[in-house]
Amino acid sequence: MTRIRKIPFWSWLWFVLGAIYFILPLFATLEFSLSMERDKIGLLAYTKAFEDKGFIRTFTFSNILALATIIASIILFVPTAYWIRLRLPEARRLTEFITLLPFVVPAIILVFGLIRIYGSPLDVPFTNIELLQPLTNSRFGTNILIVAGYMVLAMPYMYRSVDTGMRTVDVRTLTEAAQSLGANWFTIIVRIILPNIRSALLSGSLLTFAIVVGEVILASFLGVDAFGPYLFLLGQHLAYQPAALSFLTFLLTWAAMGLIQLFTGGQSQTVGAH
Amino acid sequence: MSQSTISNLKIMKPFANWKNWLGVVPFFLFAFLFLILPSLRLFVGSFTDNAGQFTFQNILQLFTQKSIIDAYWLSIRISAITALGGGIFGFLLAYSVTVGGLPKPLRSLLITFSGVASNFAGVPLAFAFVATLGRTGFITALLKDVFGINIYQSGFNLYSFAGLSLTYMYFQFPLMVLIMAPALDGLKREWREAAENLGATTTQYWLRIALPVLLPSLLGAIILLFGNAFGAYATAYALTGGGLPIVTIQIGAQIRGDVLHNPGLGYAIAMGMVVIMAISLAGYSWLQKRSERWLRS
Amino acid sequence: MRTKKFVYQMFALLVIAATVLSACGPKGASGQLNTIALPHDWCNYGGVIDAFKAKYPSITVNELNPDAGSGDEVEAIKANKDNKGPQAPDVIDVGFAFGASSKADGLIQAYKVPTWDSIPADAKDADGFWYGDYYGVLSFLVNTDVQPDVPKDWADLLDPKYNGQVALSGDPRTSNQAIQSVFAATLANGGSLDDAQAGLDYFAKMNAAGNFVPVISNNGLVAKGETPVRITWDYNGLAAIDSFAGNPKAEVVIPATGRFAGVYVQAISAYAPNLDNAKLWMDFLYSDEGQLLWMKGYCHPIREADMRARGVIPADLLAKLPDVSGAVFPTLAQLDNAKTLITGNWDAVVGADVQAAP
Repeated sequence: MTRIRKIPFWSWLWFVLGAIYFILPLFATLEFSLSMERDKIGLLAYTKAFEDKGFIRTFTFSNILALATIIASIILFVPTAYWIRLRLPEARRLTEFITLLPFVVPAIILVFGLIRIYGSPLDVPFTNIELLQPLTNSRFGTNILIVAGYMVLAMPYMYRSVDTGMRTVDVRTLTEAAQSLGANWFTIIVRIILPNIRSALLSGSLLTFAIVVGEVILASFLGVDAFGPYLFLLGQHLAYQPAALSFLTFLLTWAAMGLIQLFTGGQSQTVGAH
Repeated sequence: MSQSTISNLKIMKPFANWKNWLGVVPFFLFAFLFLILPSLRLFVGSFTDNAGQFTFQNILQLFTQKSIIDAYWLSIRISAITALGGGIFGFLLAYSVTVGGLPKPLRSLLITFSGVASNFAGVPLAFAFVATLGRTGFITALLKDVFGINIYQSGFNLYSFAGLSLTYMYFQFPLMVLIMAPALDGLKREWREAAENLGATTTQYWLRIALPVLLPSLLGAIILLFGNAFGAYATAYALTGGGLPIVTIQIGAQIRGDVLHNPGLGYAIAMGMVVIMAISLAGYSWLQKRSERWLRS
Repeated sequence: MRTKKFVYQMFALLVIAATVLSACGPKGASGQLNTIALPHDWCNYGGVIDAFKAKYPSITVNELNPDAGSGDEVEAIKANKDNKGPQAPDVIDVGFAFGASSKADGLIQAYKVPTWDSIPADAKDADGFWYGDYYGVLSFLVNTDVQPDVPKDWADLLDPKYNGQVALSGDPRTSNQAIQSVFAATLANGGSLDDAQAGLDYFAKMNAAGNFVPVISNNGLVAKGETPVRITWDYNGLAAIDSFAGNPKAEVVIPATGRFAGVYVQAISAYAPNLDNAKLWMDFLYSDEGQLLWMKGYCHPIREADMRARGVIPADLLAKLPDVSGAVFPTLAQLDNAKTLITGNWDAVVGADVQAAP
């Protein structure tokens, strides 16, 4: 029997209402940013914002940091969530509590804590022998430190996404099937679990990306040449450029997310069809 | 193996599965090195006064100082309201582009937009809303000039609890969408078809099949939204200038800023936030267990 | 499947490459200076930093968080005690009260610049630990397109024509600027430097009249017209007018009564990793050249009296500064008392109505 395709009225309603709510403030920002010249619509705010070469440099670097954070997060959180679901349900509560902690630890406390601990050399206890140079002394070390910091900030979102994704997949059956075919742990995680939680991974990645690119406190106290501090340095005290920059940043980040989505290819997966 | 068999085994041989704990060592090590250790200052500092001496005064103030208790209550209220409101409408949005049958490109649009919007906060967000609904906002002006409605005269005020909640939704809705869309994907079409074949109405399908399946994810998403709002600082500061003294602003006032204060008290307030988060998590766990029971029935 | 693994591997390679590349920077190069909390359009710090870089091209200036408050700067020194990297601030620019407290906490070290003697005695620490750098007077920045009726004094702001138009530049609980604004209102309302209660009462009156907007005002909001009257330091207001470039038209008004001066102080961190460069920086700031650069940002440099006497200030620069005669400078004790009073009672004064149930 063929079913007549009805127009999903309610779906359209929610979508349109959401669109209105989201677009209006953006439009207001855009409108203000275009009014830098008196009585004229003009792009002066934008050209002034681009006078400084730092925009592209810092935006690119923050993108790279974001990608590093996403990859490292996936490597850490996916096996963990998988293992807990499969073998260690009693660790679940503790893990969830830890993943929610970043919400209540202010970023400023986190960054000063990181600096305190990783800004001094690691000594052999009770001696003056230095085992490890402080991470903050080198640019590479600082980059590692900030990626770790970003992973912590994004942890609630990434972990929750991964966990939700795993819930929709029958992890146990898949594992048993794969094991019976002789797969090892690495193969199971990379070739079976990961593809099945793709849309959840995408959500987590997008959230992480946005957090990293917009982040200011960690970057500016760790002295990292990232996008957030750059925007701040450009002009908290100007009138029109911040609006232009925030609109532009929104568009650019949206475009970057579109690229990420394209790269991970496709959204909804019908799981269990095979 | 079912859950109960595993837990029985656990009771019989409590340390048999210590090897299983090895699997989560990387995660706990990471959390310890980069989250717990740097935040220890929070714990230690709560018991320190301005002169560096040990004191219980800060913790005591949490329970006795009215402004702090009010701050906690205010934060909890705004977090709960925006978590629920954001949860409901966010869910509807996620529904519309997944199961709800809207064209695929709209889904991409919403998901990627949600990614950006989920982190659109602080001064830019506050400014965007002021430019929209402030006294000189363009919607305010539109309503006044075209429809003759002066919302500020009718009592609306963007710089209020309601206004701040409305602003918070800008990152709460997208967060909900991003978490629930994958979960909604997990609703197999076969279930819907099977239910309809057995004569179930839409309501019955949702109440007896879809919602029970989704409930754990829904609860997890809502507590995430709660935490998200609970820890938010920059937006409230920018929009209400500290006029709405939520907990994070109180902490900021003690720890940061240009005026000398009592950092120990700030740390103590932050520890209080940790405790509240733990309590919320406990509540969520309890709800989770009940929902799993419902799923099984 | 195979392509997916390949994709992941490529990604990993990209990331590793990028981080390695980024490691090839001037690692531990001698010739660095770590500054903090210096927004470029605050007292023309942008111009100051550029001039310093031009004078010493081999020194790399690392600018840490430009939005940091004084509390953050102090915390940054504490956290970076053992760190010799670019995260440890060498020099700080903090609110007046923080000079003494930082000295007491052992966070700063003494250094007397060559021009030490021409710094007024009440704006510096006798032992040379901290020293005033510039001051400004609290003023009203008015968007005259939206509000052509420019207020002349604090009392004017209570007039109904300013309904929903007046805002502070920060939260009085955390922001130096905002707290001094309340303190300044005290002077115009019968209070004294020893008791800031009159200022609190004044803002309570303004709030009750509906003139006070509880948002933190910035230049964007002034330009938008949402907060057409912003209470801020005169140098911020004047710099704002420059940046507006006529759109909108705006004016800075120094109130007729209640002229309140706020001093900021400089200091070198006790743990400064680049001590020599820090000293060069201080020498530069307190040279005539440095002081004049601050003046270009509409700030009153601390050596102004000395420079006027020697006639080294260009006449056009002098002409741009507003008349701030009669401005009062509070002492540390007065600032402290006022701070305790204002931060403790601000909630009661202004927060009352916004705590109503939704």
